[in-house]
Amino acid sequence: MQVTVVEEHFFDLLPAYALGCLDGEDDLRVAEHLAACKLCRGELERYRSLVADLPFAVAESDPPPRLKETILQRARQARGMATAAPKIPWWQRVPSWSMVSLVLILALGASNLLLWGRLNTLEIRQRTSLRTILLQGTTSAPNATGMLVISLDGSHGTLVVDRLPILSESQQYQLWLIRDGKRTSGGVFSVDEKGYKGMYIKSPEPLDTYTGVGITVEPSGGSPGPTGEKVLGGNL
Amino acid sequence: MDYIKLDDEALMRLIALAQEQALGALYDRYSRLVFSMALNTTGDSGLAEEITQDVFLRVWNKAETYRPEQGKVVTWMSSITRYRAIDLLRQRGIRPEGNRLDWVDGVSPDLPDAMDVELEVEVAQRKQRVRTALSQLPPEQRQALSYAFFQGYSHSQIAEALSEPLGTVKTRIRLAMQKLRQILYEDKFPNE
Repeated sequence: MQVTVVEEHFFDLLPAYALGCLDGEDDLRVAEHLAACKLCRGELERYRSLVADLPFAVAESDPPPRLKETILQRARQARGMATAAPKIPWWQRVPSWSMVSLVLILALGASNLLLWGRLNTLEIRQRTSLRTILLQGTTSAPNATGMLVISLDGSHGTLVVDRLPILSESQQYQLWLIRDGKRTSGGVFSVDEKGYKGMYIKSPEPLDTYTGVGITVEPSGGSPGPTGEKVLGGNL
Repeated sequence: MDYIKLDDEALMRLIALAQEQALGALYDRYSRLVFSMALNTTGDSGLAEEITQDVFLRVWNKAETYRPEQGKVVTWMSSITRYRAIDLLRQRGIRPEGNRLDWVDGVSPDLPDAMDVELEVEVAQRKQRVRTALSQLPPEQRQALSYAFFQGYSHSQIAEALSEPLGTVKTRIRLAMQKLRQILYEDKFPNE
């Protein structure tokens, strides 16, 4: 049986943690404590609500009138909802001289994407505070809850889950790190009689570079890819 | 469909179904809040527009992940706005010292027409309560809090900016947050 003993709380540091203004060492201590302390997590939520209320007191200004249409246009593009054009093949609509330009633009775009990716990784590595991602129970485990705390450099993290259903001996839970639709195993685990588990996660690539996490029920020892029901999930 | 009469959660469900008009209605309701927060943080209207776009596109792309039990839509949006604005400042190495860096007191100006009357009253009351609570903070606590809130400064950065001892800054921020919590939510603290 796993017993978590919490000897000290960090009530005085939680207001600053919610604001994100703790310096590195304090930030780390509080994040590690939060992973194991439900009482402090509850307190933190109250301070987070408070922080989210503070924008209501800023000086108000109206956004430019054109901004709404810009956003709606980008939203349409994001879901491929742009007004349908007549279905003429694109190469018939593009003058031949512009094909060379198009190739160059595509090459530049690709190199920009590569650079952007590298910059993004650098930015992630320069974070000054830990990231906490809350995981949400699915319909298969509606009472389940979880949290993933990611280290400053993104190379490791701590997963804490609670109230997950107890599985048979032939089954275990498996954590999946999701990026571009691909799922990489983040570890296999079982929970105690309360459905609780705390687990260290070491990732070959920065955890921050993934876009989501999910936990599924798998045969004992884990699977190469998810096969069972998803019980918890969250977006990074 | 009369989108003005729909509450925020209903709009989010429609946004998750790619209903563009629902996004437009949410924009009409909260764009001023999002834009104002971004403008106050960055001091640059161009950046504030960029942040406002990011926030609403994130709502559009992530609406299906929103869970009402995790908080109100407006709370979610204000958190995204703040983090996005502070991230942008850090990424671009901007230290907008000339910004207002403070909240305003007094009565809120008129609200957008894109709200149901009941919701309009709720938002107006919320604004008023937050402003009144902030006005009750001692100036030095409010100043330290504003550096953390608007600029995303850490304790030590605030101490440096204000030329105050680190312990003093920590105490001011803690007391400010505790007092606001007590005023706004009439809460008690677990260590009392």
